[in-house]
Amino acid sequence: MAKTRTGPEEYSRPLRRVLVGLLVLFLLAIFVLWRIDSPRVERFRAALVDRVVPNLDWAMAPVTAASKMIEGFQTYAALYQQNQELRRELQQMKAWREAALQLEQKNARLLDLNQVRLDPKLTHVTGVVMADSGSPFRQSVLLNVGSRDGIRDGWATMDGIGLVGRISGVGERTSRVILLTDSNSRIPVTVQPTGQKAILSGDNSASPPLEFLEHPDVIRPGDRVVTSGDGGVFPAGLLVGQVALGTDKRLRVRLSADYERLEFLRVLRSHEIQPIEDPGTLLAVTPTLPQPDVTDPGSQQTTPDEGQPTPNIVDGSPEVPSD
Amino acid sequence: MIDPQSREVWLYRAAFVGAALFLLFLKLLPLGSEPGSWPGPDLLLCMILAWVVRRPDLLPVALIAAMVLMEDLILLRPPGLWCALVVLASEFLRSRAALTRELNFGTEWLLVAGVMLGLLLTYRMVFSLTMLPQPGFGFALIQTIWSILCYPLVVLVSRYAFDLHKPATGEIDSFGRRL
Repeated sequence: MAKTRTGPEEYSRPLRRVLVGLLVLFLLAIFVLWRIDSPRVERFRAALVDRVVPNLDWAMAPVTAASKMIEGFQTYAALYQQNQELRRELQQMKAWREAALQLEQKNARLLDLNQVRLDPKLTHVTGVVMADSGSPFRQSVLLNVGSRDGIRDGWATMDGIGLVGRISGVGERTSRVILLTDSNSRIPVTVQPTGQKAILSGDNSASPPLEFLEHPDVIRPGDRVVTSGDGGVFPAGLLVGQVALGTDKRLRVRLSADYERLEFLRVLRSHEIQPIEDPGTLLAVTPTLPQPDVTDPGSQQTTPDEGQPTPNIVDGSPEVPSD
Repeated sequence: MIDPQSREVWLYRAAFVGAALFLLFLKLLPLGSEPGSWPGPDLLLCMILAWVVRRPDLLPVALIAAMVLMEDLILLRPPGLWCALVVLASEFLRSRAALTRELNFGTEWLLVAGVMLGLLLTYRMVFSLTMLPQPGFGFALIQTIWSILCYPLVVLVSRYAFDLHKPATGEIDSFGRRL
């Protein structure tokens, strides 16, 4: 035993014990210091981490990349299966996409129907298209609103965007709409920038031609076409479509209404243009001047011809000219 | 100049430092470690205990303290506490080197398991004494159980990778003294 390590350790062991005790005390002191004054120690720790960990970046990058490559190989192994799964999912997604598109359009149309941007004088009744006329020669649809809803013959019908046609035939609870494309449809229209008047006459084609134009030269494709209100059939200013040059060199109108999907239509309650029968009541506030009474009604009667079917004229209220 | 046995000691120490840094590096890798996953074993603790049981002269206290303190600081543990506990545990085993040298592996494993459990309990006790927030006991216990289960593996790796074994009878150290 005399030649073992115990010889020198006879002296070093107590010292060593003290040193270890001091070391443990030092470590515990660090812990207590951290517990008492955490921010300072944490700052030191942050500095140390800041110094050490970024240096490991060069080593971490390949290891991380390698592990990702291993994951990548695992996915490559399952690639065919994954491809099949993706194809299946893609099929489902296509169906969903179609449904989403249809819903989006339906939603847009419904929103448009709800936000009335027309003349507030015009109220409307919204109906659902019940049936289409299957015949290629009769372009009409049936609505589920009728005379019990106050529908009358001749009222204009729109979808959310543009004019669709007019009511022609009202039943108790249904009504028929003659579309603008029907060969019986004749609508007075105005081509917007130039203000030329024309007749939109349906011919069983998708874009009905413009007829009776005075100056076809000044009309360009792309011009807006709105109803003129002539003849008191329709209110003025309803959007019909855009001018397009057909393949037969005729000016046609590309209709704004979506004829592919007529689902919800609104029927505009047009106020009947009342005939002016009593010219004296309009401006003749004082009956002491009989001469102007004779001339003024004549000038007033010309206004409907200018495409301004303002039924309020006959109300006799003095504010009417300011409209 | 440097005799082979002294060089061997320093090689072992360098290997220990390298292994400890490698373990730390593994823990720092940005892989996995999503919250809620079960904790793995504390391999550094296993390694320290295994080496101290086998060759206490290879691991000076200062080296252990330095490595564990660095791990404390970088892994955002409360600095110093775990380090102090590990130093105490290693000293406990070191002072019983004469005893552990005679033990077979099963008994040694039991002893190390007891030390690890004692470490865990003391650690958590100090945590509650200083009113520190700590993870659930089950979680910490899982880590300790993992460490205990991994201990034989660490011993095996140390035996065959580092050729670390208990000194046989008659082995001598660098000064010619018997181990």
